[in-house]
Amino acid sequence: MRSEVVMPQMGESVTEGTVTAWLKEIGDVVERDEPLFEITTDKVDAEVPSPIAGVLVERLAKVGDTVEINTVVAVLDTEAKAGEVPAAAPESAAKAAASTVASTGAASGARTSGATATALAEAPTPSRGGVPSREELRRTRSTPLVRRIAQEHGIADLSQIDGSGLSGRVTKADIMAFIESGAHERAQGTNGSTGRIAQPSRPAPASPGLAPGERDHFEPMGPQRAAIAEHMIRSRATSAHAHTIHEIDFSAVFAARKRMKAEFEERGVKLTFTAFMVKAVADALRAFPVVNASLDGDQLLYRGDINVGVAVALEASLIVPVVRNVDELSLLGIARSINDLAERARTKRLKPDEVRGGTFTLSNHGIFGPEFGVPIINQPQTAIISTGAIKKRVVVDQKTDAIMVRPTAIFCMSFDHRTIDGATADKFLAHIRQTLEGWE
Amino acid sequence: MSQYDVVVIGSGPGGYVAAIHSAQSGLKTAIVEREPTERLGGTCLLRGCIPTKAMLHTADMLETLKKGDQIGVMANDVALDMAKMQAYKGRVVQKNAGGVSYLMKKNKIDVHLGHGRLAGKGKVSVEKADGKKETLSTKNVILATGSTCFHLPFIDMSPERVLDSDAILEMEEVPEHLVVIGAGAVGTEFASVFLRYGSKVTLIEMAPAVLPSEDHEVSAEAEKSFKKQGMTVLTSSRVTDVKADAAGVKMVVETKKGDKTSSQTIEASHLLVAAGRAPRTQDIGAKGTRLKINERGVVEVDEFMRTGEPGVYAIGDIVDTPWLAHVASKEGILAVDHIAGKNPRPINYRLVPMCTYCSPEVASVGLSERAAKEAGYDVKTGVFPFSAIGKAAILNKTEGFVKIVADKKYDELLGLHIIGPKATELITEGTLAMELESTIEELLMTIHPHPTLAEAVAEAAHAAMGHAIHI
Ligand SMILES: Cc1cc2nc3c(=O)[nH]c(=O)nc-3n(C[C@H](O)[C@H](O)[C@H](O)COP(=O)(O)OP(=O)(O)OC[C@H]3O[C@@H](n4cnc5c(N)ncnc54)[C@H](O)[C@@H]3O)c2cc1C
Repeated sequence: MRSEVVMPQMGESVTEGTVTAWLKEIGDVVERDEPLFEITTDKVDAEVPSPIAGVLVERLAKVGDTVEINTVVAVLDTEAKAGEVPAAAPESAAKAAASTVASTGAASGARTSGATATALAEAPTPSRGGVPSREELRRTRSTPLVRRIAQEHGIADLSQIDGSGLSGRVTKADIMAFIESGAHERAQGTNGSTGRIAQPSRPAPASPGLAPGERDHFEPMGPQRAAIAEHMIRSRATSAHAHTIHEIDFSAVFAARKRMKAEFEERGVKLTFTAFMVKAVADALRAFPVVNASLDGDQLLYRGDINVGVAVALEASLIVPVVRNVDELSLLGIARSINDLAERARTKRLKPDEVRGGTFTLSNHGIFGPEFGVPIINQPQTAIISTGAIKKRVVVDQKTDAIMVRPTAIFCMSFDHRTIDGATADKFLAHIRQTLEGWE
Repeated sequence: MSQYDVVVIGSGPGGYVAAIHSAQSGLKTAIVEREPTERLGGTCLLRGCIPTKAMLHTADMLETLKKGDQIGVMANDVALDMAKMQAYKGRVVQKNAGGVSYLMKKNKIDVHLGHGRLAGKGKVSVEKADGKKETLSTKNVILATGSTCFHLPFIDMSPERVLDSDAILEMEEVPEHLVVIGAGAVGTEFASVFLRYGSKVTLIEMAPAVLPSEDHEVSAEAEKSFKKQGMTVLTSSRVTDVKADAAGVKMVVETKKGDKTSSQTIEASHLLVAAGRAPRTQDIGAKGTRLKINERGVVEVDEFMRTGEPGVYAIGDIVDTPWLAHVASKEGILAVDHIAGKNPRPINYRLVPMCTYCSPEVASVGLSERAAKEAGYDVKTGVFPFSAIGKAAILNKTEGFVKIVADKKYDELLGLHIIGPKATELITEGTLAMELESTIEELLMTIHPHPTLAEAVAEAAHAAMGHAIHI
């Protein structure tokens, strides 16, 4: 039996995904829950497991296609044998054709958000005096089911379809016939304005007007890269970035880690320096709630939950999974969550909802060896800490003038000067320093 | 001889509605009815929908009063008076028949009493009770001659003991033990009525379930309820032999269980044969016309109810669409609109509400879960029981449930199935929603008043989306 696989809903706010790789070829046997293809959304990369077992007989989306959720992207045959690709029965062929239209249509008109499609569908062409006639209303209103199908197929203008319902209202049969006839694709091909909706305006980075040479080549930016670019520029334009830099002695943390490492490992948890840092950050956030707040217009929104985002570098981008309610976790709990999130981030198994809702961000990129970095705030948060490498450095004891060799790291906090001042920022960082230097 | 635009043969809910709509559309119209007296309204009004529902109302009232003590109404010595019930039923029928007559006059429709037949191109002959014939000349004919009870060839009908649905309507006393053949709409209705009137009732059905055309969960619930009320229900069973005399009826019933067939003899006071209906098309003057009538007696029509003979339309129980009064009426209107040149929309038979007035009531519209799966949909369902509905508890009627069948892809509403109190009223919500091509979301967004039985529909919608509230 042929069974369709749709683009899954990857989280509440995600409406579409771009297929980045097919992990199975036509004719391959796919087990249930075995990764079938990879997608990327503006939030995460993810492998999509097959909902059923079967043989992959059709791939309805190409690598690079952006497809709305619930659109059919693959067809499996649950009875076929490996290598066998039974032809679709006439009826399902028609269906498959419709689905193909769906995916390619979605690719070209990908950004036809549901809301826009509905808005357009519902905006009747005004007749006499701007008041739509009853016919026009009925025609453009259409039925809920038709609106849903239109949305899925990126059809924004229902008036191009002949309606057979009351007063020419477009029915399910009408829109299905329209899609199956391919008129939908033609309409998009010849008339860019139908189905393709302009992107919401973003602060456009000035184009340098590049003239590519012979040995140059372009590569599409990818949704995540594009999202990061947009977020960073927007953050710069939003927050008044100011910075403070502290050197922190990690001797106590080293000792503690050495002491606890084995015990943690027994429990299957790798104890990293990041865990200590997140714990110290959480304690400091509890002591300084304003650093955990967000600015909303001219009001400060104090967040009840302390959710710390931990930046994880990926091959070509960066992702920030969030450890929720960190203040309620022990060091063990924090270490376990971070391990889990980081591991899943690297293997593309994060859910988009796991990268949302952060109230503060820690970017521990010290592993690459920098002295320190100056981070950009992750909106709408108020501050972010970036850590440098933990290195042995020469430290002068402030009381005895003794010169010592100690493992230290340099933390840089970028904070929004609209909401906190240098004094608060420094007290906050000092709190973190005291926690880490006095670890028991 | 007057020249008509439309002559309708038969005054059932198909015919008389067609006649009224025709007259209202400005067409000169006549209707022919062969009932001996001027009793218009057809099976529905004289021997079907209306009288049975009157009997049912009596049964409902009886049951309600008998259970009155549960809710603080002490009605002692509640009893049924069959004679008074019959008188009441007669009044209801007469009032409605009078209403149809009045509507004919009001709309200036000529009523010709007698047996009507096609009589050559543009002609209808009417044979009156006294044998006199009259010929009407008309541009169009609408055949709406309806149906009669279907009798099983091996069963002799005897007016005292072996009854069809026409005869049982005239019962003067409550049968001691009533056996009903056929657990469809008609059979289960009478079984439910007489069970509550006080008869011992045995219901026999050939199919493996009662109400076999309903959704399987609904059928199962109905059977469970019938048994709980004290009915004997034999499914996968057929009556193979019947002997009746003045003392009663004896019959052989074969029941199939898996590969095994067992046989038993049942003795009863009365037998009701409710094994179906037969179209009344033997004597309509079809000979020499291009009318196509198949071996079951059904007239073939196109999507506008046109027969093979130009200018002749057929509607209602003589065509192969659901045999229900509201379908007949809709078909009448469609035929007239086509005659009037109005370019009407064909009927979407998927959206016909099916109602069975047994107890508890059963109603459905659209596809059953099984049918939807067979049609290739990726199906999801939502079920909500009346036991969790406040109003049902108030009415002391908590049996049954509402079941929504929907398509996963677009949440398209594919079917609504209701078993329980007022199911036949509640089904209209689903019918309208489906007519408007709603998705589950529209049902769920629609504010349902509280406390009402209709809340069960909204809750089933919630359930279909995976988040029922009150359970
Ligand atoms: C017991 C019972 C209960 C029912 N309950 C319901 C219900 O609750 N809801 C529902 O929707 N349906 C119900 N039905 C079905 C419903 O009654 C029929 O579907 C409906 O009456 C069909 O309408 P019609 O106009 O096609 O024909 P009919 O109602 O059968 O009317 C046909 C009329 O044509 C007349 N006629 C026939 N031949 C000629 C002729 N040659 N010349 C002149 N006149 C002629 C007949 O005398 C009759 O009056 C019930 C049926 C039965 C038997």
